[in-house]
Amino acid sequence: MALKGLRSVLIDLSGTLHIDNEITPGAVDALKRLRETNVIIKFVTNTTKESKRFLYERLCKLGFDLKHDEILTSLLAARQVLQSESLRPMLLVDSAALEDFEGLTNFEGEPDSVVVGLAPEHFNYDKLNQAFRLLLEGAKLIAIHEGRYYKRADGLALGPGPFVKALEYAAGGPATVVGKPSAEFFHIGLSGVHPASAVMIGDDVNDDINGAQNIGMHGYLVQTGKYRPGDEDKISPKPFKTVPNFAAAVEDIIKQMNS
Amino acid sequence: MRSVNLNSVLQRLDRLSRVLIFNLSSCPLQSSKMAKVEWQSKPVKGLLIDISGVLKSGSEPIAGSVEGLRLLYESGLPFRIVTNESQCTVTVLLRMLQRMGFNLKADDIFSPIPAVVELLRKEQLRPYLIVHPDVEKEFDEFKSEEEPNCVVLADAQEHFNYDSLNKVFRLLIEMEKPQIFSLGTGKYYEGDDGLLHLDVGPFTKAVEYATGLKAKIVGKPSSEFFLSALNDLGIKPEEAVMIGDDVVSDVGGAQDCGMRGILVRTGKYRTKDEQHTVKPDAIFNNFNDAIHAILNI
Repeated sequence: MALKGLRSVLIDLSGTLHIDNEITPGAVDALKRLRETNVIIKFVTNTTKESKRFLYERLCKLGFDLKHDEILTSLLAARQVLQSESLRPMLLVDSAALEDFEGLTNFEGEPDSVVVGLAPEHFNYDKLNQAFRLLLEGAKLIAIHEGRYYKRADGLALGPGPFVKALEYAAGGPATVVGKPSAEFFHIGLSGVHPASAVMIGDDVNDDINGAQNIGMHGYLVQTGKYRPGDEDKISPKPFKTVPNFAAAVEDIIKQMNS
Repeated sequence: MRSVNLNSVLQRLDRLSRVLIFNLSSCPLQSSKMAKVEWQSKPVKGLLIDISGVLKSGSEPIAGSVEGLRLLYESGLPFRIVTNESQCTVTVLLRMLQRMGFNLKADDIFSPIPAVVELLRKEQLRPYLIVHPDVEKEFDEFKSEEEPNCVVLADAQEHFNYDSLNKVFRLLIEMEKPQIFSLGTGKYYEGDDGLLHLDVGPFTKAVEYATGLKAKIVGKPSSEFFLSALNDLGIKPEEAVMIGDDVVSDVGGAQDCGMRGILVRTGKYRTKDEQHTVKPDAIFNNFNDAIHAILNI
């Protein structure tokens, strides 16, 4: 079977394990059962705001059994890029996310990279000019993601994408996008495991499933969270499996591993 | 048959040698060397000239440009100053240029603000503005109690921020027939402080990306804008030359509508601009050199 040599499972958080403060049916037990198979588990999420600590505490409170360093966020992926390339970043990220960049902000000299998350308080003319001038001098532009807008309590609001596009246009170079669905992000999550021996479980057919399948992983699309009927037909090739929820995905994975 | 006049041959040789010397000293590209000889093969009957980075840098005139403009005036060759400067009115701009020593009249300046006002009037639109407060009064006639039905973006400097952009985003997604007017597509320019500042273009791109709409460009590099300036001069595109420091907006925009585009190495010019896919018809170190070459003096 396709999942005979399965070594790693990547799991999306919001919309897959839980929706706001409610877990999806049977998710806590399903995660326990998955752990008994000894596959390597990573929780992968696009976030521009919530730090790893914040996400860890929320999942613990919901009853999930996990370790701190099993969480990979797009913020941490940005951190990894900064570290592996020894970059000195200017951070246009929410102050709540700053703790994920600890130790990278004390440097001498000019920044040589600009990290853009969702940071309304930084999206003003002065800050954007500063970022733009650095980019023109050759700094690397790193985007946490390129979302156009998102839903806020008071209505739709601009995401980081428009500001990434503004800087790309002004400075004439494309951003490195670090979150899902970038191939780099999934590779960091796999930490060396071959994509063919890995599974991604998520509710976003593009960012989770298509992104993972593009590098050769198997995608399990769950019909919870942002899933809408027909999503499974929006990508080609289709998701490896489309299942009602996270628990059903785990059940199917275990069955396939043992068959 | 045209008779060969010794004087004109000498003049031509002189010009050729100057072009060649110019090329040897400051232009490494073979292709632009050929273009240089080419660009003067057709007569030049009029000029369009950019302001920022060509005539002035911040609040200072660029060396030689006052002299260059004086020579141009004296030659009688018609010209228009075409600018996307949308953070001040034509009157304010004119006064500033006159103070710097430029001999100019209001009619010499062609700006996108009157052009967009005309357009809004014609289509009876109610604009929501992100513009610099100094030009707001140019839009007084459009003040209305009703919901706006289009958005005008100009070089608004510090008035571009998350809240103002979010506001236009929300207005646009609610509009029945949303329209964005952008006064140019400029990426950046050199400010009074000598630093580069974001122009309206990046913010227009941000709003376009968020809404999925395409802005209508009023000002450089829209062909419409160049052509109406040429119409004002009464000349055809192939008879005209545009001088600017922006390889894309000035040079590319001019070439797209059939004019010749000259790049000057001042203002926002950077060496890498000479490797751009847009190939200027000629490149000069500054405005004064360009005027000397055009006037053959």
